[in-house]
Amino acid sequence: MLMFSNYTPQGGFDEYFAAPNQPRSCFEPLISSLGHLGLEEISRSHRAAETLLQQVGATFQLYSGDTDSGERILPFDPLPRLITARDWAWLEAGLIQRLQAIDLFLGDIYGDQHIINDGVIPRDYIETSQGWRPAMVGITPPLERWCHVAGLDLIRDEEGAWKVLEDNLRCPSGVAYYLENRRVMKRMFPSLFHSRTVQAIDDYPSYLLQTLQDLAPWTETPKVVVLTPGSFNSAYFEHSYLAQQMGVELVEGRDLFCEDGRVWLNSTNGSQIVDVIYRRIDDEFLDPACFRPDSLLGVRGLMDVYRQGHVSIANAPGTGVADDKLIYTYIPEIIDFYLKEKPKLKNVTTYRCSRAEDLDYVLANLDKLVIKSVSEAGGYGMLIGPHATTKEQEEFSHRIRTNPRNFIAQPTLYLSTVPSISHGEIYPCHVDLRPYCLRGRQQWISPGGLTRVALRRNSLVVNSSQGGGCKDTWVIQDDVSSVAVPC
Amino acid sequence: MLGRVAESLYWMFRNIERIENLSRFLEVSSAMDLDSGMAVEPWTPLIDACGDRELFQLVKGSFSAEEIVDFLVQSKNNPSSIRSCLNLARENARQIREVLSNEMWEHLNTMYWRLKNERPMTGLPSQEWLLRVRQDCQLFYGIADVCFSRGLGWQFCQLGRLVERADKTARILDVKYFLLLPHGETVGGVVDQLQWIAVLKTAGGYQMFRQSRQLSITPKGVAQFLLLDPNFPRSVRFCLDGIHQSLSKIDPPQGASEKPLGRHVGMMQARWTYTDIAEIIEYGLHESIDRLQQDLNGLHNQLERVYFQTPQSFLSPRSSIQRTS
Repeated sequence: MLMFSNYTPQGGFDEYFAAPNQPRSCFEPLISSLGHLGLEEISRSHRAAETLLQQVGATFQLYSGDTDSGERILPFDPLPRLITARDWAWLEAGLIQRLQAIDLFLGDIYGDQHIINDGVIPRDYIETSQGWRPAMVGITPPLERWCHVAGLDLIRDEEGAWKVLEDNLRCPSGVAYYLENRRVMKRMFPSLFHSRTVQAIDDYPSYLLQTLQDLAPWTETPKVVVLTPGSFNSAYFEHSYLAQQMGVELVEGRDLFCEDGRVWLNSTNGSQIVDVIYRRIDDEFLDPACFRPDSLLGVRGLMDVYRQGHVSIANAPGTGVADDKLIYTYIPEIIDFYLKEKPKLKNVTTYRCSRAEDLDYVLANLDKLVIKSVSEAGGYGMLIGPHATTKEQEEFSHRIRTNPRNFIAQPTLYLSTVPSISHGEIYPCHVDLRPYCLRGRQQWISPGGLTRVALRRNSLVVNSSQGGGCKDTWVIQDDVSSVAVPC
Repeated sequence: MLGRVAESLYWMFRNIERIENLSRFLEVSSAMDLDSGMAVEPWTPLIDACGDRELFQLVKGSFSAEEIVDFLVQSKNNPSSIRSCLNLARENARQIREVLSNEMWEHLNTMYWRLKNERPMTGLPSQEWLLRVRQDCQLFYGIADVCFSRGLGWQFCQLGRLVERADKTARILDVKYFLLLPHGETVGGVVDQLQWIAVLKTAGGYQMFRQSRQLSITPKGVAQFLLLDPNFPRSVRFCLDGIHQSLSKIDPPQGASEKPLGRHVGMMQARWTYTDIAEIIEYGLHESIDRLQQDLNGLHNQLERVYFQTPQSFLSPRSSIQRTS
C-alpha cells in the first residue's frame, strides 16, 4: 500500500478507496500490487509511456499555423481505472437499452412522428434542434439502424451510481486512445496483467468493420472506407489509425465521386464502388448539393445515392437531434414510449430552461448549477456556477432569458475520483467514462472505454481542451467468489 | 490504390533514400577530413553532388565546412537537408498511415521525434550520429522488407527509392570525376587512390568493387562499376532494372511498350544495359550522366501525370503532398 499511504479521497466517490488506507475489497489485491510498485517506479513508467505514445503517433493536432509545434499526445495517467465485470454487465444492459430506444426514436421522428403526435415531445423542440436534418425525413437507413457507433459519456455520482451525462451520437472520438493506452499499459506494467484478468479490447476494430459491413446488405463483399476531412484535422491520427486497423481505405471527399447512382473511389487502377462510408465529418459537410454548399470536404450527390439506398453512411445523417442536450432530458420518456421499460441507466438531474418553472429555479440558483448550451460540446458554452464570477453569471442569465430553448442546467456534479499523478503526487482526480457502442446486425459494447481524467487538481472538467487527460480502463473479470463481495 | 496514396509512398521512400545517401556522403567526407595531405577539401563537392549549388549560394555566406554541413544536415531553407527530408518522409507517412504496417510507421515516427528533440547541431556531426541516421534508414527498409505486402503500394515505394538512388549514385560519380580529372584525358594517369576509394565508399561499394574486379582502382573501373554493374544494388543499371520491373507490375505488360511511360523506361534500361564504359567516356561522362538525370526527371514527371494526380485534386485548397524536388 506504500504508494497510497497518504492518499485521502475527497470531493466525490473514490473508486479505489472507501476511506484512507481502506481499499475497496473487490480491488484489494490489485491496489496492493500497484501500491507496491511505488511512486518512483510509476513515475518512471509514466514518462516512458508518454514517450511511447508519442512514438506510436497517438497524437492530436492543435489548431495553429505551425504544423509541427502543435502536435500533442493526450496526457496519459498510468494508474488504471478499475471496473468490476459485474458492474460492467449491468452498464452494458443499460447502454443497449438506451441505444435501442434512441434508434427507434430517430426512425420515428424522421418517419411517422408518433412521439410528437402523441404529445410526448413538442414538435418545435425537435425541429429547432441543431442536429435536425429535414433532408432525412422519409429515409429508412439499412437495418433501420441510425447510430452505428455511439460514445456516451457516463459518470458516477457521489454515491457511486452510474449516470449518463451526454449521448454522443454523431462522430464520437477517442477510441484510438482507448486502444493505444492499453497497448502502452501492457508494455509498461506486464506484471499487473499477469496477476489479474483484464478483459481484452483489441477486437474493437474487427467489430467495427463487421458493423460497417453489415450496413451493405446488397452485397457479399462490401467496400468500406473511412472518410476524413484530411491530415490537417486534429483527430487525423484516429481516422488513419482506424482505417489501418480495419484494413480499409482512408479517403477524403475529393477521392470519391457519384455517378450512375453509386459512389465511386478514384484509384490508380480504375474506379471502385463504395458501399459503406464511415464518415468522420459532420452532417453539414457531407454533400454540398444537400447541406452546406461551400463544403470542400464532402461528395457532391452523396445524399441522392444515399436516398436511393445504394450507399450507407455511418452514423446516419441527422442523429445529432438525439444528442441535443434538451432532447437528452426526454430519454427516460423515449425509453418508456418505445420499449415500455424503465430506464436502467439514469440521466443526471437536469433542468430545462424552456420550461417556465425550471427557468425560474435555474435563474435563482445560477451559483450552484452547471449551465450548458444544448448545442455545444467539448466543455465550451458552459458555466460552472460555483466557480463563476458574478459578472459571468449575469452574462449567462441574460443569454438564458434571450433563448431559453438553448440551455439546460444540472447540479454541480462531484464526479467520482481515481488516484492519478498530479504535480508529482498521487491525488484523487475526477473522471468520466466513454464506452464505445457498436450497432450493426449485432450490438457490441467495448469493455471499459476511454476514461477521461481532470488532471488539474479539483477540476471537474475532463475535456482535453481544458487540461484533461486519459487513463486505461480495466474491466476486471472477477471470479465467482468475488462477485459476492459488495463493492 | 488512390493516386495520392501512391504519391505519398513514392515520396516517403524517396525521402528516406535521400537521407541515407546524404548521411553516407557526409560520413565519408568527415572521415576524409581527418586524413592529412588531401589535395581536395571534401565538403564542397557534396553541394554539387546534391545539385544544390544555387540554393546554397542563396542562403549561405561561405563555403566553410560548418556552413556546408549545416545546409546538408539541418537547414530549414534546404528542402533536401536530412532534417527537411525526414520531416517530409514522416509527413508522407502520417498522411497514409492506414496503408503502412504499424512497425514501419512507428520506426519512422520514432526516428522523427529523436531528431526533433535533439538540440540543433553546431559544428560537424559526429560519425556516430551519421551512422545512426544511416542505420535508421536501413532499419526502415528492413522492416518494410519483412512486413509490407508486395502489392501496388510496394512498387511505388520501389520506384521512389530507385529513382533517388540512381540519381545520387550518378551525381556523386559525376562530381568526383570532374573534380579529380578536370581535363578528362588523364584516364590511366596518376590517380589519387584515396580519392577513388572514397568515391566507392560514398556509394557504399568499396568491398563489392574489390570483389567484383580484383584489379587496381582506376577511374574508368570505378565509373563502370557504379554505372553499369549488373549486380551491385546501388549501380545505375541495377536501379533501372528495378524501376523497369516495378513499373511492369503496375502497368500491365501487354501493350505497355506503346505507352509513353513504359517506352521511356524501356529505352533507358536498354541504353544502360547495352552500352559499355568506353562509349560513355567517349561521349563524355558528364554528358551521359546529364542525360540520365534528364531521363529520370522525365520519368518522374510521367509518373506524376499518369498516377499521382487525382482528377479532382484541384478542388483541394491545400495540396496534402509534400514535394521536394
